[in-house]
Amino acid sequence: MHFLSRTQEISAFCAAGLALVVLELVRRRRLSEEFSLLWVVASLAMAVLGFSTPLLQAITRGLGIRYESSTAFAFGVAFGIVMMLHMAVQLSRLGRENHTLTRELALLRHELETQGGRPDAGASGAGGRA
Amino acid sequence: MSRDRVLIIIPAHDEEQSLPRTLLEVRERVPGMDVVVIDDGSHDATAEVARRHGVAVVRHPVNLGVGGALQTGFRFAVERGYSIGVQLDADGQHDPADLALLLEPVLAGTCDVAIGSRYRLPTGYRAPLSRRLGMHLFSGVVQLAIGQPITDTTSGFRAYSRRVMEVCQHDLPQDFPDAPLLIALARRGFRLSEVPAHMRERRAGRSFYTLGKTLYYPYKNLLASLMAMLQKSQSP
Repeated sequence: MHFLSRTQEISAFCAAGLALVVLELVRRRRLSEEFSLLWVVASLAMAVLGFSTPLLQAITRGLGIRYESSTAFAFGVAFGIVMMLHMAVQLSRLGRENHTLTRELALLRHELETQGGRPDAGASGAGGRA
Repeated sequence: MSRDRVLIIIPAHDEEQSLPRTLLEVRERVPGMDVVVIDDGSHDATAEVARRHGVAVVRHPVNLGVGGALQTGFRFAVERGYSIGVQLDADGQHDPADLALLLEPVLAGTCDVAIGSRYRLPTGYRAPLSRRLGMHLFSGVVQLAIGQPITDTTSGFRAYSRRVMEVCQHDLPQDFPDAPLLIALARRGFRLSEVPAHMRERRAGRSFYTLGKTLYYPYKNLLASLMAMLQKSQSP
């Protein structure tokens, strides 16, 4: 029978706790389902690896790693990198959308000001004459 | 020259000091020309100054950079039926008297983008060493990518045909619309051409190229140029 090491116990409970926190954040609508997916999958994977010693040992041997805890740590680091890349992609998309919305807002405001006949809004809807 | 169809687009960020002289110069040198000032999230009275001079003003609530401001200008021009858009810096470094020469090839249909180049004239303008080095680097990159020498890749004095504006209103490099934009346009089959233009020192205000941006600029532009080079060639 395999007994869990202290490190496995800690990582398994932390992963399970993280999964619960993520699910609770989704339930409270503070985290969207889309963004929760990676977190839930990764934390569940860490929990399974933490509790299942044979699986962790098999993966550790398969990857040629000396200690099981190093395997768990490597998975955590890999997840962190994937998550950061995912966030950078999402931020870039949001930045592009933000730019588009800003331009749209500026043009609409100009339309509104010129149609409303605001005296300081420049000449007509077209470009004003310098 | 059919002035009704030409719009001067002036991207401006915190240019309340330079802008009045630039607008007066436009009025004196090319009277009756339509102008729109794109106030790119200024913290000073740039928009009010422009309005006092009777030109149209579109205000970004936040700063988007030169590319973003130019994109707004293109959209403005396309929606209102202008056939040519002229980009003119707000800092007064360009002489609006050069406008006729800049517009000539676009109006004649011999090119889609005319670039006013300070290096095609013995103007006495001497950029700082770092900028000259960057200029040589990106001129080389552009020549390598499109097989055409462009001496002034960072020129803020350009004329764009309507077709170019229609494309660029949706897709334009946001921070610096320089070498990557020229490469992307050439890869899309648009014809570029350089004409001589005078260049002066900026009158007031701060240059857009701050220290941080000077460090970021080569990285961003090289990467964006490479990406533009990898685009498939296509017809406009």
